[in-house]
Amino acid sequence: MEELIVKLKEILGPDKVLTSLEDRIAYSYDGTFAQNLPDVAVLPESTDEVAVVVQIAAEHRVPVVPRGMASGLAGASIPFSGGIALSLTRMNRILELDEGNRTVRVEAGIVTADLQAYVEERGLFYPPDPSSNRQSTIGGNIACNAGGPRCLKYGVTGDYVLGLTVVLADGRVLETGGKAIKNVVGYDLTSLFVGSEGTLGVITEALLKLIAKPQFVRTARAEFPSLDDASRTVNAILSAGIVPATLELMDETAIECIEEAMHLGLPLDVEAMLIIETDGSDEEAVVREIEAVARICRENGARAVEVAQSEEERAELWRARRSVSPSLARRAPNKLGEDITVPLSAIPEAVRRIKEISARYGLPIVIFGHAGDGNLHPNILFDKRDPEQWARVESMVGEIFDVALELEGTLSGEHGVGTLKRPYMEEALGPVSLDVQRRIKQALDPLNILNPGKVLP
Amino acid sequence: MTNNDIRKDEYLHCIRCGLCLSTCPTYQLTLKETDSPRARVALLRAMREGLLERPTDYTAAQYFRCLLCGACTFICPSGVTVDRLLELTRREMAELGLMPHPLVALNERVVEHHNISGEPNENRLMWAENLPEPPSGIGRERAEVVYFVGCVSALFPRSYRVAQSFVEVLERGGVDYALLGEQEWCCGYPMAINGGLDQARETIRHNVEAVRARGARLVVTTCPSCFYFWKHTYPVALGEELGFEVVHSTEFLADLLEAGRLPLRPDLPEQVVTYHDPCDLGRKGGVFDAPRRILAAIPGVTLVEMEENQEGSHCCGGGGNLESFDPEMSRAIAARRVRQAAGTGARVVVSACQQCERTLFNAARTERIRVRVKDITEIVLDALESRDQ
Ligand SMILES: Cc1cc2nc3c(=O)[nH]c(=O)nc-3n(C[C@H](O)[C@H](O)[C@H](O)COP(=O)(O)OP(=O)(O)OC[C@H]3O[C@@H](n4cnc5c(N)ncnc54)[C@H](O)[C@@H]3O)c2cc1C
Ligand code: SF4
Ligand code: SF4
Repeated sequence: MEELIVKLKEILGPDKVLTSLEDRIAYSYDGTFAQNLPDVAVLPESTDEVAVVVQIAAEHRVPVVPRGMASGLAGASIPFSGGIALSLTRMNRILELDEGNRTVRVEAGIVTADLQAYVEERGLFYPPDPSSNRQSTIGGNIACNAGGPRCLKYGVTGDYVLGLTVVLADGRVLETGGKAIKNVVGYDLTSLFVGSEGTLGVITEALLKLIAKPQFVRTARAEFPSLDDASRTVNAILSAGIVPATLELMDETAIECIEEAMHLGLPLDVEAMLIIETDGSDEEAVVREIEAVARICRENGARAVEVAQSEEERAELWRARRSVSPSLARRAPNKLGEDITVPLSAIPEAVRRIKEISARYGLPIVIFGHAGDGNLHPNILFDKRDPEQWARVESMVGEIFDVALELEGTLSGEHGVGTLKRPYMEEALGPVSLDVQRRIKQALDPLNILNPGKVLP
Repeated sequence: MTNNDIRKDEYLHCIRCGLCLSTCPTYQLTLKETDSPRARVALLRAMREGLLERPTDYTAAQYFRCLLCGACTFICPSGVTVDRLLELTRREMAELGLMPHPLVALNERVVEHHNISGEPNENRLMWAENLPEPPSGIGRERAEVVYFVGCVSALFPRSYRVAQSFVEVLERGGVDYALLGEQEWCCGYPMAINGGLDQARETIRHNVEAVRARGARLVVTTCPSCFYFWKHTYPVALGEELGFEVVHSTEFLADLLEAGRLPLRPDLPEQVVTYHDPCDLGRKGGVFDAPRRILAAIPGVTLVEMEENQEGSHCCGGGGNLESFDPEMSRAIAARRVRQAAGTGARVVVSACQQCERTLFNAARTERIRVRVKDITEIVLDALESRDQ
């Protein structure tokens, strides 16, 4: 290791190679409560520098763990086997905006919200909107195929990736894809890296597809005295042929926590709230849709439906939605957030069963999420310092996954597998898929130095 | 800043979501996790949990490389009062003997000379010497209002103008005020954030007595840090009510203007300005409206806001004594803020803090950014009818 560090410092300069305990602690965690120290944190500033780091790591058989802003919720960027924490945050430039073809080429470390602000100023739109868009990078979003509220209508991160620059496990640089929308020359290597969680290569640049910015938006908030009614309403809206831009569900504890954090005057006497947004370039159609949505909500038991009257009200509602997950920390020192998806018709059943698990184990589970695409985030609240509680949490997680699989859903809609869900992979994928995936990993990273111990069991 | 009521295990409430990275000026500058609030809290936790057993100078440096600007606290969705936690950790570092040398020296100067510059405290009124007439507040034994000038405006010639403009406005408004002169001691804030709240208690007691002796009902400060410390820490540190009110000069001036006590010139020029919220005044002290009311009351002034304003304001780079510890980082942060200001199209950046004014001014000059930097008291003074009219 020492020799490797000396080499890295020689080539990159000491400022980009951090070895103090303090620096290693700073690069030891992500958005979960897990943690492990890397031997060294490296902050490259170009694809060439990344390639050099990976080459040297390969020579020394040392693990390389790519890292964006470490907002991940699966432990995927934690260097559990030590080695190099490779931070992409300084590679945050916008390389080329092609307004005519509506594409943008960026470095992987750019913060998603920064990219969004940049293109929106120019009338363009990058739709994928993980709630963590201010604290996650495009590289991390691609590596986890991040989704968000808008993905119901606009699709997930992977739908916007046209091409990638990837440093492979031996230090070679691979270019995939291009500006052409249709491209069937060879295998679709771009897709291979989408969702690969840093185990197949280090993404250093991405060519992204943009769309024209929808000109009109309406956002409504519907209050439901009954959680069951709220979850039924989700499918009722979609079955009516409306595709809202977003359709978000929050249960009562989620509402209480946000209200405590933000004082927005949200109702504290309902079991659930839906946030629904319609958008498009035809104002009348957008308004008509939100009115139809409001009607369906009322028919299905909503006590009140309010449409945001100004951009500020709307921004506030979204700020509220984005802070649900972190604001839960007000209730208990730890939370374990799951990310299951189920078919739309199964949402009410899934919600019922999860609440039942919560009651049976005596620990609160908060439910919120992108209900419109069946993606729920049940969060278990607990205190990890109490080993007995932790034991309960572990069984609860297993049961939540069972619920998802029994209802023909899956373990993770967007947060990814990392280490936390690895034990459940076999059950979720089956032996054939797992075997194929193992061979892919073997082909691309025969030395197993790229983010070892992640994803595949 | 009631440091004492913070919960011991508050660091556990940091769930490492990373949102604070998006507002932290030090992280935004270096894009290195170690310079982020999340890492600073993680280090504290590592010390508590034994992962980092023996803190070193480098550990301590992480806490002194922070502006204590509170942007992290404001944005943290899980309610961690990060800046207070970091301030407390500074104190812990000081107890371990790990305070950086320039800050030790600063504390010693304050204890010995009762001011941050280390010169004789009699010099506290030198700024008044080249005024056309000596301020009426000098030597006054009883007064309704005490103007607490603060070390920087009193002792750093570059910032004399703030004190000079403010007393000039007080005179024009016919305010019955007193200056404490050499009986004014450093408010104690710099010591407290360098880990020496206990050392600061003597100075706090002294200042409060000096104001009480004048029978004042109000203390007004031009310095936001003095304001914040007087208002929020003094009563807690002494464990008693002060018996008088504490306001910032912007609140005082806004009231004077709105009450019509300051006659304005009829021929005021049009000017486009932007306003920089000082951290201690705005986000930490809760004063956002008063300076904006002042600007609105002056004909011809158009205010354009920067994107990061009010609670979301971006520190000028001068917070947390960073300037003494890492001047280069402080300068770079100031440059970022001045660029934001210039980006609004305004030709003037107005602040309400002598420290902000100084850091922003220097940055504008070294970066050759074409905006003028002014303290709000100067703007008010410029708008008043001249004395002889
Ligand atoms: C409050 C909060 C809300 C969230 N909301 C959502 C949400 O709505 N939707 C959602 O999908 N996720 C959400 N997440 C999870 C997380 O933000 C996403 O997974 C995000 O994509 C991670 O990006 P990052 O830059 O932080 O990556 P990191 O956490 O640093 O890394 C995540 C994974 O990506 C890999 N990686 C990172 N950069 C690269 C690269 N350049 N090349 C190769 N591999 C790389 C890492 O090795 C790791 O495996 C949320 C997280 C938080 C804390
Ligand atoms: S915003 Fe709060 S909870 Fe999130 S990382 Fe920062 S301090 Fe921790
Ligand atoms: S107080 Fe300011 S500089 Fe310090 S960690 Fe928080 S945001 Fe960063």
